[in-house]
Amino acid sequence: MNNADILMGVNLSKKYDNLEVVKNLSLNVKEGEFVSLVGKSGCGKTTLLSLLSGLEKPTKGQVTLNSKDITGASEEELALFRREYVGFIFQSFNLIPTLTAWENVALPLFPIKMASVQRHKRAIELLEQMEMGHRIEHLPATLSGGEKQRVAIARALANHPKIVFADEPTGNLDSATGDTIMAILNALHKNQGMTMLMVTHEPNLAKTADRVIRMQDGEVIK
Amino acid sequence: MNLHYVVKELYYRWRRTIVSVVGLSVGIALFIILNVLSLAYREAARAPLKEIGADITVQRPGNVPQELTGAVFPCSAVTIRREEITKIEKIPGIVGTGKAVLVWVFDPHQAWVVLGIEGENSIGPAILRAFVTEGRFLENGKSEALIEVGYAKQFGIKVGSNISVAGRSFPIVGLVDASRAPKIAVANLYLPLKDAQSIALSSKPLQSVSPFAQGDVNLLFIKAEQKQIMPVAAALKNILGSKVVIATPESFLKLLGNLFALSDKFTLAAALIAMLIAILIAFKTMAGNISERSKEIGVMKAVGWTQQNVTMQFLMESILQCFAAGILGIFIAVIVVYGLSFLTVNIPIPWEMSPKPHFLPGGGEQLYKTLRLPIYIPLKLAAFALLLSVFTGGITGALLSRHISKIKPSEVLRHE
Repeated sequence: MNNADILMGVNLSKKYDNLEVVKNLSLNVKEGEFVSLVGKSGCGKTTLLSLLSGLEKPTKGQVTLNSKDITGASEEELALFRREYVGFIFQSFNLIPTLTAWENVALPLFPIKMASVQRHKRAIELLEQMEMGHRIEHLPATLSGGEKQRVAIARALANHPKIVFADEPTGNLDSATGDTIMAILNALHKNQGMTMLMVTHEPNLAKTADRVIRMQDGEVIK
Repeated sequence: MNLHYVVKELYYRWRRTIVSVVGLSVGIALFIILNVLSLAYREAARAPLKEIGADITVQRPGNVPQELTGAVFPCSAVTIRREEITKIEKIPGIVGTGKAVLVWVFDPHQAWVVLGIEGENSIGPAILRAFVTEGRFLENGKSEALIEVGYAKQFGIKVGSNISVAGRSFPIVGLVDASRAPKIAVANLYLPLKDAQSIALSSKPLQSVSPFAQGDVNLLFIKAEQKQIMPVAAALKNILGSKVVIATPESFLKLLGNLFALSDKFTLAAALIAMLIAILIAFKTMAGNISERSKEIGVMKAVGWTQQNVTMQFLMESILQCFAAGILGIFIAVIVVYGLSFLTVNIPIPWEMSPKPHFLPGGGEQLYKTLRLPIYIPLKLAAFALLLSVFTGGITGALLSRHISKIKPSEVLRHE
């Protein structure tokens, strides 16, 4: 693990109308670190994740990702930034129903000028890494929950991200499948040194991370 | 923009795609059909004049002959003077003129409808050359006659025999099949223009009603530049007076009385309404598509698609659907137009243009020019319809880009 901070959020606040969801919160994630953000539903952890990943802009505060201040970036700049440095894993997988497994993995690569053969090769490589090589031409509807999440993890890695944000990655899975997915995420972190910030409401899953940050009512409590 | 993704989306959501494509294609087909119907009736209205090589015919109504003896003019076609013809020939937009003299000759034992024609002029009745069934056509400078087949048969007149008309003798050199000939400017007997003029000049009953001088005629056929037909018609009225009878494609169109033929505005409005409905269908379907796929758009944005990338993707979907709708619309229109091409149109010939005296048997019958509806899809119209459908796709996609921009990437974090 490198000591440099890859992600820094300083005095972050987020208000929706009069409701303050994130309250003057600061946190940092070091390169190669696996941090889990744990807390009850509605405590603001998903909102914090969206602020740190550049999906949303904070009402107040500053976000620095890979040494770049993204706080004042335009929507366009943020999209390009996410394309280059960020990978996402979602609770409900969010695979495109019309695309096959490999096409879903290649989704972040579609807007990039890249030979389609290269795109295909990269997607297959990642799916094989996720032990999904036999399901590359399958549509999401024909995959199990665990398989869908494996495809989603492969998609998160397609653009060689600096950091992966995972929002309740096992939330829609049974416990056995959830354990398998967590094993994959841990392996990614341990074997490839992937930096990860995972949001979960399950303390047991959070424990597997290097560091656990607890949230309550929009604030860090520990 | 990824074309593979576009095609997969359209294929996967085939019900929505079909609704959108079929909806728009019906609009495109209606747009084409309404336009070609209007064009077809306009083309049909040109037919009676076109077949005598003219765009306009001119005749001046006058007084009824006092007595039906010798040579007289029908009251629907009296003298057009040489000076007037000189002025007419100078009207801008006139390409050429054809002259003729139509005379009714009441000889003691026989009545003739005589038409004096310019044998070498392609504008006017010389087009009859194509309908000579026996013998030959009139030769320049010779005093000879052509006779209509039915009339020849009725009176036992044969090629090679001589006939006497208004006290002049003419050898019959050929027979003309009037049933195949144009409905305008038909007669029993066709003479060189000079001979018909000479008959008119020497007829006292004719001169007493409508003075006729050397070089005058009573029928004019005018070929004009297509866009100048109406201004030429107006100029003709200025020269010949408001009572002059001018037949143009427009006047035949009015006689047709068809809604498509009568009103350009109706056709245009109907076609535009059809298109507008089609555009609304396309817009509504695409809007529904975007709203249904808001989470998918969120995913695309979250993984690094810019607003422009997403818009281009949806724009291409919209354009591709509309292009397919355009092709299908043209295909539907081709089938419908093929069916419509079997329709026949009866174009009434105004009584003034009927050469036969109304008091003779069959003279009062309404004449019609009957033809198959000349309907076809001009390549330019098909290309325009296709462009219009693609443009519709583009506009729809562009309008919807605002909806797309409102979808935030954080949408994707909303848990189901």
